[in-house]
This record gives sequence, C-alpha cells and structure tokens, in this order.
Amino acid sequence: MAEPVPAEEAADVTLGDFAEIVRRHQSMVFSTALRFLADPPAAEELAQDVFMQLHAKLNTLKSPEHVVFWLRKVTSHRCIDRLRRSRMPQVSLDDLPDSAGLELSTDLQPADPFLSRRLKQLVASLPAKARLMVILRYQEDLSAEDIAGILDMPAATVKSHLQRALAMLRDKVVSTMGEVRSDK
Amino acid sequence: MTRFEDELKNALRRQAPPDGFADRVLARAAEQDSRQVKPSWRHSWLRIFAQPFAPANPFRWAAVAAVAVGMIVGGVHYRNVHVQRERAQGEAAKAQLLLALRIAGGKLQLAKARVDQINSGQVNSDQRHPDPNSGPTANQQERE
Repeated sequence: MAEPVPAEEAADVTLGDFAEIVRRHQSMVFSTALRFLADPPAAEELAQDVFMQLHAKLNTLKSPEHVVFWLRKVTSHRCIDRLRRSRMPQVSLDDLPDSAGLELSTDLQPADPFLSRRLKQLVASLPAKARLMVILRYQEDLSAEDIAGILDMPAATVKSHLQRALAMLRDKVVSTMGEVRSDK
Repeated sequence: MTRFEDELKNALRRQAPPDGFADRVLARAAEQDSRQVKPSWRHSWLRIFAQPFAPANPFRWAAVAAVAVGMIVGGVHYRNVHVQRERAQGEAAKAQLLLALRIAGGKLQLAKARVDQINSGQVNSDQRHPDPNSGPTANQQERE
C-alpha cells in the first residue's frame, strides 16, 4: 500500500519538502495510531510527535522507502511505549461485551458497517503486539516479513501471532454476529 | 485472502487525520527550526574545531594552530599595552610628586623667612623696652 514517492524526497530537508512528506504519509501514521490507541486526540498527539521526530532525523534518512519504513517503525514503537506508560489494562477478547442489541444479518455484505465497527472494537482489544501486527497486516497491507522488520522479531513469530489473532477475531465475530459464511 | 480478511481490511482502511493536522505539524516544525541557532554548529565553518584530533579534516590542525598563534600574539600585545600604561601612570605620579615637593619647599622657605623676620623684630624691641620684671631699675637702686 506504500505510495510511490519522489526519489529526491528525503534528500532535501527544507520545510516545504517536509510538508510534502507529512501530507503524503499523515493518513498512514494517524490511522496506525488511531487503530492502536482507539483515542483520536491521543492518536493525533502521537502522530504529531512522530513527524516532529522525523523532522529532526530527516537528514539521516537516505531514501523515500527508508522514510516510510522509519515512519511505520517509529509509530509502532511509540504506540507500544505509550501503552506501557499509560498502563492500560489488557482486555482479553473473552471479556469484551457482546454486541447485544445489534440486529445483524448473518449474510454479511461487503463493507458491512456493523461488522466493520465490531471488528474495530475487537482489534482494539487485542494484546498490544498482536494488535499492531493486525494493523500493519490489514491496514498497511504488509507481509509478515515486513512486519517482522518493523517490530524486530522473527517472521515466523509474526505469522503465528497473526494466525492466532485472526482466529480469535473470527471466533468472536462468529459467536456474536453469526457465521461469516463466505470465509473461504 | 479470505472474506473475513477482506472485511478486516475494509474495517481497518486508513482514516484521514483531523483537518489542519499537517498545518499543526508544520507549525511545530517551524517553531522548532526558529529555536535552533543558525548557522548550526554542524553546518558552519566552526565545525572544523570540533574533534580537533580527528584525522579526517586536514584543516583542523591549521585552524587550531592559527587560533593558538592568535591567542599568543594577542596576549603579548595586551601585556605590552598594559606595561606601557603602567609606565605612563608612573611618570605622571612622579611629576605630581616633584611638583608637590617643589610647592612644599617654597612654602617652607616662606615660613622660615617669616620666622626669621619675627625673631629679628623681637630682639630690637627688647633692646628699646627692657623687661620690667627682670630686676630693679637704676633709678630704684639710687633711691634706696
């Protein structure tokens, strides 16, 4: 999902070029923080801090690809750090309230707003590392190897975490909203 | 990718930040830039003084030597100026002392002359008017 960027993007460090980088990547950084923190003001604050750190480090980044990788990595690590500092309780998927009151069809349509909202809630309740992996995998469309590079862990570990998180999410959705019939 | 994963991907699609997000970031960046001292140490010619023992920059030793020579020359020049100023102050003090001694000597001469004049005037007066308490006069002795 990485958008093409000019090759000279990171070469010049003027404020105008920095502005172009911010506008190009603001959705990526903000969305990652928002999906992870589930708190829009906190997500904006974190995203601003990431870009300010980039502004100070831009001279050291050699290529546009490096800039994107750096942004994803710093955003991910800042998310985890923020979670540790705030000591937010880790909620198990089983402790989440069911979506009682939502009259949902078991015949899911693409872009089902109810399912979409429920999935966001469930993703936000995953353990930190698994949550980040799911966000990077399905928001940023990254491979397990790319995620492993960002989170500094083996690709096999990422794959197993992703499979487990996906299974947990699917089970919870099925138990509360009905079976996802076309899951194949 | 399964249908469930498609739904997950759809639910987690990117979301644009609030309006003005980029402007707020750029305002912070501009503020950060304005707080930095320019030219920054790392990008100015002064960086040749950083890590003077690093062999990478051949101009570093020359720059350090030039600064050392400048400091020595400046120190010698400052010392010379200081000595000359002290010497001039000494000469001025000497001249003032001589003037004061000359004035004092003139005053002493004047006082001595006055004292001499007073002493000589008193001797003459004693000869014309002898002291009545000094003893019986010649007339008194004759009457007795």
